[in-house]
Amino acid sequence: MSAKETVRNAPGDHGLSEKGLKAGSVGLIGAVVIGISCIAPAYTLTAALGPTVSEVGVHLPAIFLVGFIPMLLVALGYRELNNAMPDAGTSFTWASRAFGPWIGWMGGWGLIAATIIVLSNLAAVAVDFFYLMLAQIFSNDSLADLTTVLPLNIVTTLVFIAGACWISYRGMETTKTFQYVLVAFQLLVLGWFAIAAFAHVANGTAFDATAITADWFNPFAVESFSQFAAGVSLSIFIFWGWDVTLTMNEETKNPKKTPGRAATATVIVIMVIYMTVSLATLAFAGIGTEGLGAGNPDNQGSIFAVLAGPVMGPFAILMSLAILSSSAASLQSTFVSPARTLLSMGHYQALPKSFSKISPTHKSPSYATIAAAIAAAAFYVITRTLSENALWDTITALGMMICFYYGITALACVWYFRAEAFRGARNFFFKFLAPLVGGVILLVMFFKTAYDSMDPDYGSGSNIAGLGLVFILGAGVILLGAVLMFFMYLRNPAFFKGQVLSRASQTYNP
Amino acid sequence: MRYVVGYTANARGGDAVNLAVALARRQGASLDLVMVMPEDSPYNGVYPPVAGFESILAAQVSQWIDEGLALIPADVPSSAHIRRGESEAEALIAAADDLGASLLVIGASATGLFKRFSVGSVAGALLHASTVPVVLAPSGYSRTEPITRLTCALGTREGAGQVLAASIAMARRRCLPLRLVSLVALGNDDAGTTVEDAMEHLRGVAEASQALDVSALDKVEIDVVVGSGRTIEDAVDRLDWQDGELLMIGSSRLAQTKSIFLGATANRILRALPVPMIVVPRDFEFTSDEVTA
Repeated sequence: MSAKETVRNAPGDHGLSEKGLKAGSVGLIGAVVIGISCIAPAYTLTAALGPTVSEVGVHLPAIFLVGFIPMLLVALGYRELNNAMPDAGTSFTWASRAFGPWIGWMGGWGLIAATIIVLSNLAAVAVDFFYLMLAQIFSNDSLADLTTVLPLNIVTTLVFIAGACWISYRGMETTKTFQYVLVAFQLLVLGWFAIAAFAHVANGTAFDATAITADWFNPFAVESFSQFAAGVSLSIFIFWGWDVTLTMNEETKNPKKTPGRAATATVIVIMVIYMTVSLATLAFAGIGTEGLGAGNPDNQGSIFAVLAGPVMGPFAILMSLAILSSSAASLQSTFVSPARTLLSMGHYQALPKSFSKISPTHKSPSYATIAAAIAAAAFYVITRTLSENALWDTITALGMMICFYYGITALACVWYFRAEAFRGARNFFFKFLAPLVGGVILLVMFFKTAYDSMDPDYGSGSNIAGLGLVFILGAGVILLGAVLMFFMYLRNPAFFKGQVLSRASQTYNP
Repeated sequence: MRYVVGYTANARGGDAVNLAVALARRQGASLDLVMVMPEDSPYNGVYPPVAGFESILAAQVSQWIDEGLALIPADVPSSAHIRRGESEAEALIAAADDLGASLLVIGASATGLFKRFSVGSVAGALLHASTVPVVLAPSGYSRTEPITRLTCALGTREGAGQVLAASIAMARRRCLPLRLVSLVALGNDDAGTTVEDAMEHLRGVAEASQALDVSALDKVEIDVVVGSGRTIEDAVDRLDWQDGELLMIGSSRLAQTKSIFLGATANRILRALPVPMIVVPRDFEFTSDEVTA
């Protein structure tokens, strides 16, 4: 006789969250470490500091402070959505629920595009520092220049992307200890860099010693709104990842208190490190456009690659190691996100069915992970061949893309909770005001940056037929999404007719 | 008696189910199909966080395990379990412990192009840590009829006596003919004397082992064979294997008591072996309920 029954959960399996994370395993410090590792400060600073200085000059600290505000407002909305629909969790599903399939599709596309762009930038930064580290190890400066050999650079970057894709497909676990060491090492090296830079300033050995003034902290001193918008959309990128602490729930030891405290502690640590390092950089190198100056376009793609040597001397290799390790780790973990979003879109028939394939062996998205890797590789090859400074232009385009999908998601939050918005001060603030203001700011920044980036001189100054490359990258990616969306509608209209994911909103239920 | 089957929704999982059915039919055992849902470490730092994947994966795994259950013929009782674990091997061992299973059956990796067994990462981990005997199905195993013969590969090292005892116990319980094999990796095979040596060696092993007396050797139909070749793989190739054969092998001396550690020679045997293999943990004794079942 056959007695077939399926036990979906084995006894003792109740301590697990819906998200497949070990419940109650993360304390306050652990949550802060996770937050900082998602931000990857060593990588974000080297990638974003230069482009931001080129926009706002010495007002860099002010823009970093101001840039946090929309991030905070939007993240508060994210947290509400995450609590209301814990099982959805992507901009795609949230925006589809609130605004219907078309805007939902574009929200998902924005998230995927942002992660694809950051993957290609992460890989490129890792490759730069890989060659720089080889040069430092063998005391042979010519090795560092290998990264400027275009075919070699492209091949190495593709190898890095392929490696990260493979690891992510196989589902490698990062251990607690490894993450702690990685984060502590990053903070230590950044601190070292700042202290060494200030020491040079004090000893009169700085490249272009610049006195710190209160004006650096005044955001209103930024010359034009265009520069302000560009600066804010770049600083959104440097805080990208911070909101992960707020969305942590069951995995924390105290779901009521840990996420909020961790988010606060994370932002304090990050602010301290950003302020110290940006002040140190400006004080040491100034914003001149010659030599080591932070305003020199040649330095802006990856500022620490240029400054670490003069500032830290022989210990610059630690900076290379910190950035290489953090960007390589981020590269691998960031792969998971676009792959899962693509899978989710395939599952809801918003993309061809093959995207929803799951590897029987590794239980990870198979088709979607490879698709994400191919897209990241293609994006890098295109940018690298078209742009004079690919890192700079990708970071600027990335800032735009984050503003786009964050903006959509924040407004989705406002719309989804509309019935509750005016029921009580807490609802009003967290479900209406904060996401509304944050979302509007980000979308304004998005449109302003998109408009400005049509200028051929925008970003690194690369252009095609007089149209700025950043605009072509940013708007082109969104346009490509719209075309694909329409194509998908023709092929399989079920999702777009709302037959798969129906529109919904939170009803008021006190 | 219960056997845990580590199921995956591919050909390898099918091989494991077939073999488990073959083993269960002889013993009247029931099968527990187990699939493992991966458990993300929060320290992976996945960003932006995507929560929807988990429920999609859960639905997919449920569908897969139902398909797996459907592979099991109606005469074999079966049930299915979905478990979570950071490592698949760890979760399977825990499942086998919790369910009181006496065997853990899995398929070898199907990616090896020329060799029947190319041990995947899960099988590899099991073969180095399991506390219950692990049975590996070779790629493409399609037999579901009962096992017809048991072969026990014996080395000359310490611990061979325990494996011999286990194989005699198993053969007796299943009323199977037993074949004892000694593999010699050297050219120059002088058949007559080698078999003699092996016989002598086997009796020596049997005498040295306190677990069994020499007379026990006569109670089971025993054949003694020496396989020889240039390499261990070659020696395995040259032996004749029945379709319904099962090879038993012991753990390396590196194994901790009551667990498995696949030794170097066993690894080489595995690469060339055309039939399923059962690896017994060190100091393992088949429990009495196996005998009564």
